[in-house]
Amino acid sequence: MLMLNLSLWAVFEYSEAKGLEELFYPTYDLSGFSWDSVNRTLNHTALTAEFSGVPATDPGGSFSNGSVGFRVTAYEAGGRDRPLPSLLHTANSSKVEFVLAGVAPRGNGSRFALEVATVEEPGVVQELRSARSIDDEYTPTIFEMLSLVAQSQNDSSTRSFLQWKATAYGSRSPRREDNIQCRSGGLQAANWTLPASSIVRAYFGEGVGSSYTVSAINISFGGEDGEVYQEKRYLSWSALLGFGQPPRDTFSPLVISIMAVALGTPMAMLLVGGCVLLFAQRKRYSEYEPIN
Amino acid sequence: MVEEERALLSPAGGDDDGGGGGSPGSPRALPAVCDPRRLPHRLLVLALMCFLGFGSYFCYDNPAALQTQVQRDMKVRTAQFMALYAWYSWPNVVLCFFGGFLIDRVFGIRLGTIIFSIFVCVGQVIFALGALLNTFWLMDMGRFIFGIGGESLAVAQNTYAVSWFKGKELNLVFGLQLSMARIGSTVNMNIMGWIYTRVQDLLGYTGPSTLGLTLMIGGVTCLFSLTCALILAYLDKRAQKLLCKEQGKTGEVIKLTDVKDFSLSLWLIFVICVCYYAAVFPFIGLGKVFFIEKFKFSSQEASAINSIVYIISAPMSPVFGLLVDKVGKNIIWVLCAVITTLASHIMLAFTFWNPWIAMCLLGVAYSLLACALWPMVAFVVPEHQLGTAYGFMQSIQNLGLAIISIAAGMILDARGYLFLEVFFTACVCLSLIAVVMLYFVNHLTGGDLNWSAKKREKLQKVAANEVEEQERLRRQNEDDLAKLQPKADDFSLRNKYLSKLGAQVQVSHQEEDGFFNSQMQFLFDSENLVVIIVGGTWPVSTAARGLPAVAGEGLFEHGLLECYLAIFVRVQFAMNLEWLEV
Repeated sequence: MLMLNLSLWAVFEYSEAKGLEELFYPTYDLSGFSWDSVNRTLNHTALTAEFSGVPATDPGGSFSNGSVGFRVTAYEAGGRDRPLPSLLHTANSSKVEFVLAGVAPRGNGSRFALEVATVEEPGVVQELRSARSIDDEYTPTIFEMLSLVAQSQNDSSTRSFLQWKATAYGSRSPRREDNIQCRSGGLQAANWTLPASSIVRAYFGEGVGSSYTVSAINISFGGEDGEVYQEKRYLSWSALLGFGQPPRDTFSPLVISIMAVALGTPMAMLLVGGCVLLFAQRKRYSEYEPIN
Repeated sequence: MVEEERALLSPAGGDDDGGGGGSPGSPRALPAVCDPRRLPHRLLVLALMCFLGFGSYFCYDNPAALQTQVQRDMKVRTAQFMALYAWYSWPNVVLCFFGGFLIDRVFGIRLGTIIFSIFVCVGQVIFALGALLNTFWLMDMGRFIFGIGGESLAVAQNTYAVSWFKGKELNLVFGLQLSMARIGSTVNMNIMGWIYTRVQDLLGYTGPSTLGLTLMIGGVTCLFSLTCALILAYLDKRAQKLLCKEQGKTGEVIKLTDVKDFSLSLWLIFVICVCYYAAVFPFIGLGKVFFIEKFKFSSQEASAINSIVYIISAPMSPVFGLLVDKVGKNIIWVLCAVITTLASHIMLAFTFWNPWIAMCLLGVAYSLLACALWPMVAFVVPEHQLGTAYGFMQSIQNLGLAIISIAAGMILDARGYLFLEVFFTACVCLSLIAVVMLYFVNHLTGGDLNWSAKKREKLQKVAANEVEEQERLRRQNEDDLAKLQPKADDFSLRNKYLSKLGAQVQVSHQEEDGFFNSQMQFLFDSENLVVIIVGGTWPVSTAARGLPAVAGEGLFEHGLLECYLAIFVRVQFAMNLEWLEV
């Protein structure tokens, strides 16, 4: 049973002037997009599917050779992705990737933000957790991991999660220097109404909005001097969606073994050397004893 | 011409209080600031000397201060960015051996200093041009040329210091120069970011030209240092004329074949040096962005914390120098420094604790290590190989820095900061292993590396006494030795034996040949020398017969001194008698 229901709702574009005033451009509402057929991009061996779409009306011409896309990857077994951000996954999870490719920004220093909405069933509490980990081996220089977890109110066990690293990448084959800072706002009750034709309404029935509550998080891309998108015109943000406890990173065996050898060797040498010296000293004394 | 000048100036050189230059045109009494023998003038020279290195130290760490800007504007990966440091180190792998030679034999100190300063200036300008023209390889080349000048300039600076302040003030002067170098680095770390933002405001955009302009402005410090070099050259030349002073020399003798004679202890010291510095300098090179990305520091705060190692080392170096001198036990100090560094790297790697703690520890450890490690080389290497040993140490230090810098950049790109810190920790651990091995090797071979200062002093006193004693004996023997022209080796060998014999030794032996049909008894210690001849004929001097012959009886004394073994006596006596017959 899918406890955390997610809909990626709208893409905002805004620019932040020096004086911290944010200027929002008209929102790209994803419900107004025309989407390509998913059958064409369905890959049965890699278990991926890609939806991409353009707005039905595009007066500014921003999408003349660009699109917004979602790539979903399912996993057969636990493991770790090769491409960055190399999230650790289980068989009970799948990756959702938000891709903004070739969309022309409408302003000079404009940035994009994604609003993610979730539908809460009765008896389930959602919580946004931000954890800072010292381990950035798999996602170089990114230390923050965010997760949105749905807990059951009765026994506070985690039912499902959405987990992501605080980074997006500005390249099709992401590398460390392509990273685009990614910030998340708090979890808020959504202050808008669901469109009537929404699949959410179709799935949950008419109860949405009364017995089910809808909350949303804003995820914005680009830091203070983040102009990566302006140059590359590509942005991809990955998150892991799954059941049960979100997977936790642990130190890689390589790090553990290097530390063990590096710290162990001098210790062993001190011990062995100390023993040898002690032994040699005693031996020397024993040689002198008969003379005394 | 020079002769003439000397002749004219010689009275002024001899006159101590007058302070007058004897040059025909100049006035008799110079004001204090212009008189090379007076303190104000020497202070002026000291200031110039300190600022001589300022430019090169300021510009050395330019990349670290502008890491984000360099990587963003030039669009380079961290590995390429760190290559800027590697390119600085490459020429110095070789130049460490030749810097002294070039100054002593080829250019002379004055011209050498100017040339190296010009290299530094040109290097920095090319570095900045590379940024302006948006060509990264040109920046690399600039750093290479900068590196050719930079390290040799430090050698020249030390040589100037020795030539002007030989005697009491020298250590202070070295300390001041080192402090000035650290101040240069610190100012750079904290000011370059600000200059960049001002240039950015001026131009209205960021890009390679902003970076280039910023680096050009940084290059002004190099021009300033070049000016210092020119003034210093003039003053030195003037002092040479006025005081008949010789041009300063490094006095370094580098013989690469000495390398095969290096002891295990020395190689271990090299390992400590390379591994330790590799975990400090490349780390500082990458430090600013590390503090911004891992600890969420602001740019200014990150600059400040990244320069704390230099800030601490400026005042602490003289303090630790004194401490290590007073206490001795160098290996223990090095061990402490390495363990502290290890702790600080582990803190930075595995915790989110306030990094000021770790960086302050690193700063203290770094200063302590520098004070305890470098003097150790002098204990394990004979004096004539010292130049080679230090040259070699600097050379492989630069090699290590070049390689590790690039490796660090690549590791950061591929695996992130945790792995980078683990890598640095491993380097420090390697250094720790070398320290532990050095301790045991030193212990087993009975080396003097870990003696306390008291013990060292005592032994030095004994050695000094010994030398004095030997000197006395040598003087006593000098006349005879001169006549006999003994080999230099004999003398040292004898000294060695004498010092080992110490107390009275009795050598008694029977001569069988015609001359010495008698029994002789030789009594000697390091003070007195007595010959007792019992019976027989003595063809040389009847005064010695049957009586104790007091040291000073030239011929016999010499013969006796050589008698480490009975058989030697025969040879020596035969030789002496031959001489007598002549």
